[in-house]
Amino acid sequence: MARTKLSDDRDLTEEQKLFKESLLDWAERNMPLDRVIKMNREGHPYPKDLTKGLGDLGVIMGTVPEERGGMGLNWKDQATIADIIGYIDPSIATAAGFMAVETGWGFTIDRYANEEIRKKYVQPAIRGDKFIGIATTEPGGGSDVANFKCTGEKDGDEWVLNGEKTFISGVEEAKDIGGGYWVNVRTGDKVPGAAHKNMTAFFVPIDTEGVTPTEPYDDAGRNSISTGGFIMEDVRIPEEYMLGEEGKGFYYTMEGFDNARILIGSSAVGVTRRLLEEAADYIKERKTFGRPLAKYEAIQFEFVERYTEMEASRLMVNKVADMQDTRYDEEGWLERTGKPQTYKPTEIAKWISMIKYKIPHLAKDTADDAMHWLGAAGYSSEYIFETAWRGVMSYCVGAEGGANIQKIVIGRETLGKDYVPYK
Amino acid sequence: MRFIVCVKQVPDTTEVEVDEETGTIIREGVPSVLNAFDEFALNLAVELKEKSDENIEIVALSMGPPQAKEALTKCLAIGADRAILLTDRVFAGADTWATAVTLGRAIKKIGDADVVFMGQEASDGNTAQVGPEVAAHMGIPQLTFVTEVDSVNSDHVVCKKETDEGFVSIKCELPSMIACMHTPGFEPRIPNIREIMKAKRKTYEEWNHEDLGGEPSEYGLDGSESVVIRTYSPPPKGEGIIVDDEPETAVNRLIQFFEDEGIL
Repeated sequence: MARTKLSDDRDLTEEQKLFKESLLDWAERNMPLDRVIKMNREGHPYPKDLTKGLGDLGVIMGTVPEERGGMGLNWKDQATIADIIGYIDPSIATAAGFMAVETGWGFTIDRYANEEIRKKYVQPAIRGDKFIGIATTEPGGGSDVANFKCTGEKDGDEWVLNGEKTFISGVEEAKDIGGGYWVNVRTGDKVPGAAHKNMTAFFVPIDTEGVTPTEPYDDAGRNSISTGGFIMEDVRIPEEYMLGEEGKGFYYTMEGFDNARILIGSSAVGVTRRLLEEAADYIKERKTFGRPLAKYEAIQFEFVERYTEMEASRLMVNKVADMQDTRYDEEGWLERTGKPQTYKPTEIAKWISMIKYKIPHLAKDTADDAMHWLGAAGYSSEYIFETAWRGVMSYCVGAEGGANIQKIVIGRETLGKDYVPYK
Repeated sequence: MRFIVCVKQVPDTTEVEVDEETGTIIREGVPSVLNAFDEFALNLAVELKEKSDENIEIVALSMGPPQAKEALTKCLAIGADRAILLTDRVFAGADTWATAVTLGRAIKKIGDADVVFMGQEASDGNTAQVGPEVAAHMGIPQLTFVTEVDSVNSDHVVCKKETDEGFVSIKCELPSMIACMHTPGFEPRIPNIREIMKAKRKTYEEWNHEDLGGEPSEYGLDGSESVVIRTYSPPPKGEGIIVDDEPETAVNRLIQFFEDEGIL
């Protein structure tokens, strides 16, 4: 671990401090920084001992209620865990697979799944024995839902799914240890001007007949977890594997994105803090022209700017996690009390988009700056910066929603619906 | 059966820095942790409970300021069933004897202790006196420098104990106090999220001097037998000499040095 410490635990609860202590102790034994760098070089699938270790620690899908095999954590708790996961693994593979994909989506799958899916897939995934995630992007459309081509047709008490999903996290891991995906398909006619309607979500086990995984991508970074896809040819899924109600898949998907994006924002805070700590250790010791690098304003001021942005981001994540906790605490409030909820879901989505757009870029820019501060050393895999830079870029360009889509959400909620660029 | 594990919250020595001007430890902002030997003692107690067929309750006991609750919460997460913090302004400034009296009275109040587990010493004071003093106060046998507990039942405990010559195995009747120290390579249990959340629901109590009985003057600074006259850091060592030569030349230089210093 870095010797410079930039974390401030005083606003954490007693339990959150212990989560942090346990995760850092576990990482010191099982996932030190040199292993993170090595894993990233070796590529996927994500090592089984770490998958199991994360499951044993209880960090995966902690927000699932206790009575359904989770830990009953709130989003602030889970965001604290995600922050430490990012700190431990700045390549962000762990944050991608186990925080954003498994936790954000696993929680949402659990909410809309039946008991069989919960028992066969969600609960084993919580223990690190299976991998579950989201498959929404298609070759012709990701953010652009109007161009979704995957279809679902009802046939008796089954649904027949066809189409291709791509840029999906964890397909190799799901193949390796078993699992499945939340899959969105169109189950009715496309509604002009409302392409998000008639989308339905299903849970599709990866080993279902007719599901053929495609070749994984050779990504720039976060390489210890896979990115791939699969083709569905006449995949027969029982009616009970529909998630929630027919035609509401788009709305559930937005809820899942909200949950996953909070954890991405929080992980990226942890990444940034680790990079600043590691860089601080170096620039305080390394001397050029007779004085430490940290004494040069050109470096010190950049360091301070990133540190300030990191702390501001942490406060934003705290606010957003609180908003999400309020959202779930007040579920059904309107029907029960007739009073409006504290936050409209679209308002929460705006804040979540702000952290999803901003914080991965902060982490990437910090890695970029640190490489400049360290020079050739920073560019080498001896240090974490280049691994982190390549990894967090995945969250700048896309994973869990690209930056520009986030800006459209923020623009819609601040300027009004009349100014949405695309419908 | 009942195990009582006494623990102390101490400054994290890996984070401690020394003020270069005064030579004293900078305590501000230094995180607190569970004393490592105490954590080892708790680990031993929890492992014994897991292996035993007996119905065993583990009570974690600490004396300290209110923030020491953090250390006890960790004990509950590791596997203690119940935790008690002895916290009261009158306990402040206690020497090892006053600390032992306070802990001993609490142990008697809890009652029916079969084994009192303690760390061999705390990393902030390094006296190694409190455990034996608790045993003396309670009038029970003591085993110190214990590295392993082989077995325990309602009648006796069998421990491995380090001595100057090596290790000995000792069988001791109960109740007894064992002061534990880990050997290199010990890896404490890491509580998982479920255990941490469960800890929230376990019994946690705070006791003050009125709960323990006796007069305030029997506790803390007033109840202490020893007086600290001065605390100071040893003077820094002077600059050393590094002999960096071929072995033969180096030996000759060393001999010359010892002769010049009057050592040889």
